[in-house]
Amino acid sequence: MAVSKNIALLMKSSSWIRAMFEEGETLKKKYGADNIYDFSLGNPVTEPPDALKEELVRIASSKAKGMHRYMTNSGYENVRDEIAAYHKEVTGLPITRDHIVMTVGAAGGLNVVFKSILDPGDEVIVPCPFFVEFMFYISNHNGVMKLVDTKDDFHLDIDKIKATVNRKTKAILINSPHNPTGAVYNEEELKELADFLRERNKKGQRIYIVADEAYRKILYNGTKLPNLMDIYEDTVVVTCHSKDLGLAGERIGYILMSPRIKNVRSLIDATIFANRILGFINAPAIMQRLVAKFQRDSVDIGEYQKRRDTIYSILVEAGFDVVKPMGAFYVFPKSPIPDDITFVKTMLQHHILTVPGIGFGKPGYFRIAYCVDLDVIEKSRPYFMEVGQMLKKGG
Amino acid sequence: MIISHEMDHLIKDQEGWTRRMFEEGIRIKKLYGLDAVYDFSLGNPDTEPPEVIREALVGMLTSPEVGTHRYMSNNGYEDVREEIALYLREVHDLPFTAGHIFMTVGCAGGINVILKSMINPGDEVIVPTPFFWEFKNYINNFGGVVKFVETKDDFQLDVANIEAAITTKTRAILINSPNNPTGAVYHEETLKELSSLLNARREQGQDIYMITDDAYKKLVYDGLKLPNLFKMYDLVLAVTSHSKDLALPGERIGYVAISPNIKEYELLVSAMMISTRVLGFVNAPALFQRVAGRFQRVSVSIEEYQKKRDALYAILMESGFECVKPQGAFYMFPKSPIPDEVEFVRALQHEERIMVVPGRGFGREGYFRIAYCVPMEKILGAREGFLKIGDRYYRGGK
Repeated sequence: MAVSKNIALLMKSSSWIRAMFEEGETLKKKYGADNIYDFSLGNPVTEPPDALKEELVRIASSKAKGMHRYMTNSGYENVRDEIAAYHKEVTGLPITRDHIVMTVGAAGGLNVVFKSILDPGDEVIVPCPFFVEFMFYISNHNGVMKLVDTKDDFHLDIDKIKATVNRKTKAILINSPHNPTGAVYNEEELKELADFLRERNKKGQRIYIVADEAYRKILYNGTKLPNLMDIYEDTVVVTCHSKDLGLAGERIGYILMSPRIKNVRSLIDATIFANRILGFINAPAIMQRLVAKFQRDSVDIGEYQKRRDTIYSILVEAGFDVVKPMGAFYVFPKSPIPDDITFVKTMLQHHILTVPGIGFGKPGYFRIAYCVDLDVIEKSRPYFMEVGQMLKKGG
Repeated sequence: MIISHEMDHLIKDQEGWTRRMFEEGIRIKKLYGLDAVYDFSLGNPDTEPPEVIREALVGMLTSPEVGTHRYMSNNGYEDVREEIALYLREVHDLPFTAGHIFMTVGCAGGINVILKSMINPGDEVIVPTPFFWEFKNYINNFGGVVKFVETKDDFQLDVANIEAAITTKTRAILINSPNNPTGAVYHEETLKELSSLLNARREQGQDIYMITDDAYKKLVYDGLKLPNLFKMYDLVLAVTSHSKDLALPGERIGYVAISPNIKEYELLVSAMMISTRVLGFVNAPALFQRVAGRFQRVSVSIEEYQKKRDALYAILMESGFECVKPQGAFYMFPKSPIPDEVEFVRALQHEERIMVVPGRGFGREGYFRIAYCVPMEKILGAREGFLKIGDRYYRGGK
């Protein structure tokens, strides 16, 4: 066979996602793409801010030498200086360019971090539901993922985490604002988690918090992201500009290692080395130069909030049981019937395309990605109502 | 420990002398100033991309289409892959389609995606030596086992050695021609011999893939043409990047061309889609995919590189070094005048301010690598130093 056994297995297990995707495509052909409301993909339609587009033209026009050459594997020094200055301001911590490694998106960054810290058999705790790629990022480097259910409101269940930590636990991977639930963890729960991890640290076990902050700027109703590096010393933040600057296809992000990590230099060196040997080498040059100048900017969050408010009101009106998301661009309602795959298929008959919760380790729910035009959300309203009506009738 | 034991081991595996040499290099640059130091240690070309690329980039960005920077299919834009397929159809006279092209984050990314897709733990990959050190890391990333095979004295493939190294676990052979670090371009005859060897294994039911790192494919001299490997052997996966031919190494753009003769190519592509996603590449950078699509027929000036090769080769001959004349890439791999090449490299750096890399960094002691992708002045400027050290080592001069 042309492919490895592991990959063949992965392909098989994702086959139902493909089946659903293909069913969606068939329906789009049948009814026209405009008449299918596709909430299945986290591929934002939002365009980058105009100022960013202008700056990109300026950079591309430059006749300076060396614009596209290799640079040090961690990224341009001046780029890292600017990013460090921003995080120093936000966190009040003595962050310098040394604490930053530019990466091929957050997905690249997470792989680099896990390659750097995991030995075979080391465990990484992941709160569930979860972004299913995390499983691969961990198993790529021979780590073992330990799923821990979150509470009903999708916040961390610290007691469950406590019960899952053992001698092999190397890290906890959190993602807030969260995909697929839109939950934003608050300061209190993070402090409780930090206190517990610190206890383990006193007994000689270092457990990292690895924070995937891909959605860090997409927050609603004035919600603020707690300063995690202040709360816990062994924190590694991984982020990207796919969502906040609308640059998903350009693969640009970075790893930020807390200056409070003891012997942080050897972690920095390991991440730089891993960035090389995993084949990333460095983050794309032109995008490094670009994002350095836009750390304080983002796409219009107000636009996302309008979408959140609209989809949430539709879901509530249609009778769904749903936790109001405070960040990211996902909402994760309960499926009215236990079998979420059947339910998602039913929705599809009503022209609505979503992803079953089982794709995020949580059957009985489904995910709506509302990073689509507001118009699409508005137009989907009658179809959600249809489904709601049908369920009321059917009981 | 703050990092994994495996990572610690990997870092130490390569760090000892490279780190020392690197630090010594920084010291010397500070001491004498950049102008007085001749740094031939890095394969980071000083060449600028062709001007048409800058113009095209500005054009694309000045009136961008909506969605220019969004995600696309994991294997890349279809129109870009179509343009590349069209080019490859012409060059290789085989029915490449967009489906046979997979856009990647450079060559390094491409090789990792292929290996992740194909390698079962314990599978063996044959690598001719001397070799680009990262190959070992790439193969180890996925639990593969590297089987090193020495090349001949002229750095051409030794097919008999390769035959002896093949076992039932051999999954692939990873070749790199034009070669880093030797500049060798593998002969058509040798590649044919290798192909018949692998075809014989196929007849016995073992499919061994040829993975070719074609990063330097356009950098060939003396009017040489690269043999059309796709026509010799069916199971070829060619990995290309535009780091050297378009001088865009920092932008990380390349692609894998899957031979149209591989019947299971769709299965392989599905696997590579998953691999590129889970390894965290997700897709090749969007903007430079578009550039790659438009400039398959363009390259930096090969003539300039050939001039540099000629100048450096003449200097080495004049100094008394023993060296196989390279026909491609921008590397030369002369024999060290003394068996301990690390000592020699240190002397060269210390006494003549010329920085090169010891052969053991490429799995071959007793040699050293010169990367001549530097300005011509630097090559000419280093002449005196090479002559002096040659005089000392070969003719007992002081």
